[in-house]
Amino acid sequence: MDQSVLEIKDLIKYFHSRNGLVKAVNGVNLEVYSGEIFGFLGPNGAGKTTTLRILTTLLKQDSGTAIVAGYDTKKDPDQVRCRIGYVSQAGGSDDPATGRENLILQGQLYGMSTSVAAGRAEELVHLLDLDEFANRIVRTYSGGQRRRLDVALGLMNRPTILFLDEPTTGLDPQNRANLWTQIRKLQQEGTTIFLTTHYLEEADALCGRLAIIDNGHIIAEGTPEELKKRGAGDCITISIEDSEEKAPALIQLLQQTDFIHDVQYDTTHIRLYVKDGATAISKVLDILNQQQIVLITITLSAPSLDDVFLHETGHSLRDINAEGQEK
Amino acid sequence: MKTLRDIGLLFRRKMKETLRNPIYIVINLLTPVLYLVLFAPLLSKLTNTPGFGTGNLMNNFIPGLLVIVAFLNGLFVGYNMIDEVRTGVIERFRVTPTSRFALLAGRVLRDTVNMLIIVNFFTLIAIPFGFQVHLLGYLLFQLILCMIIITTSSFGNALGLILKDEERISPILQGINLPVLLLSGMLLPMELAPKWLNYLAHINPAYYAVEAGRLLASGIIMNAKVGEAFLFLTILTVLTVTWATRVFYRDIS
Repeated sequence: MDQSVLEIKDLIKYFHSRNGLVKAVNGVNLEVYSGEIFGFLGPNGAGKTTTLRILTTLLKQDSGTAIVAGYDTKKDPDQVRCRIGYVSQAGGSDDPATGRENLILQGQLYGMSTSVAAGRAEELVHLLDLDEFANRIVRTYSGGQRRRLDVALGLMNRPTILFLDEPTTGLDPQNRANLWTQIRKLQQEGTTIFLTTHYLEEADALCGRLAIIDNGHIIAEGTPEELKKRGAGDCITISIEDSEEKAPALIQLLQQTDFIHDVQYDTTHIRLYVKDGATAISKVLDILNQQQIVLITITLSAPSLDDVFLHETGHSLRDINAEGQEK
Repeated sequence: MKTLRDIGLLFRRKMKETLRNPIYIVINLLTPVLYLVLFAPLLSKLTNTPGFGTGNLMNNFIPGLLVIVAFLNGLFVGYNMIDEVRTGVIERFRVTPTSRFALLAGRVLRDTVNMLIIVNFFTLIAIPFGFQVHLLGYLLFQLILCMIIITTSSFGNALGLILKDEERISPILQGINLPVLLLSGMLLPMELAPKWLNYLAHINPAYYAVEAGRLLASGIIMNAKVGEAFLFLTILTVLTVTWATRVFYRDIS
């Protein structure tokens, strides 16, 4: 494969909390290669943001190493800073200034002369379609416009690798699709992209490879296809009458069969992970018949990344995010 | 070199912000003007009270007001800092090779220039009310005011960066604000105070600034109180800026 632009070895970061020392990142190993879009997934509080903050030199790890764009983030933070772009969840565009002023200042802070910075700003204004509003005060921007400026700011220094932290959170579907297009365009122009997300469909649509983090550990890594095949196989989802009463016994029975390799239950639906969905579905129906359980719905689906997550961690990414809180 | 350039760039950024909304300068000018118009007349019968001296009333009163201006314009910048933490601007700068010291100094410099604009504007307004400017003394007094705002602005900015939340910074700033103002003798001279209150005032740096300001405004430069003010304020400024710089160099989680 291509050249490595990011390499993390045995990364550990502790935080002090009321209950003592917490390992927010607990032995993470990762490698990202030049030119790819790498997805970093996980629920809030899993260690995703902490890892990202170490990679972008905002935090220092307690042990392990992180080499980004050829430099150690702990020993040579300024060298790393010169070579990365970072778009935080909050964005980072400065409200009281115009888009263009934001861009030029960003360039100057990287050491560019005013004219070089203005030239680069102009390129990015075209690349990210900011022409219409580049000279307006940022406070007047819509969510989508602001997001594009945020991304442009991250690109001012022609970074070797661009970090995007939850880039589409809070965007409407149209703006999300728009940003996806922009991100793909950046990749085609040779930018390596490291993005965190908790939208699995986003990771599926954009990323060549991805890693899933939970409780500070990487629990799965590979291409979206590999992950789907490896963990889950096909997924049969059933819901039954009198679910609360009958489900526990049924699940026990299903777990004893040899064609079902995992069962997940979330109060209304039972998910069965099987190798071959088509033959398994008739066997499942037989069992339900024998047990005289009335079926409400049954669906067979190819596994999504959500299934992968559920399979690897035992909890659904969506459930966690619904109640999740970022520290 | 890089640090100086960064300070210049970040100062320009904040200054542009001020000049785009000059209304804030007007609002900040309003506080001393209101004191001048609505409070100063109360003092007119007190000219021979101890502590006021026998000199010009306005020359005793205005320096206190200017200390308020410098103090308040710096202290409450913490809110603006929190704003910029929230919108991610600070984090964005921190991922560039920008000097951490410049991130602080650019802001403090803007606040200082802002304060000087307000102070000099106000002085112009106060002259018709009877404020007599002794040039050298007045210039030295502006140095004192600069040290005050450098201290409070560094403190406010660093506190904003640590706390990141208006609701947490508010009680701290308010808790500092009122005692410092009351114990500075800026409205009425501390000579009028009972002994214990007077002692308390002596641990307040703003008190020394006000005392020195009154002397300097009347052209008295070679005076122990002026020396004390410069000494204490220099120490305070160095300590606060050092601490704030360390906060800006720290990791942010």
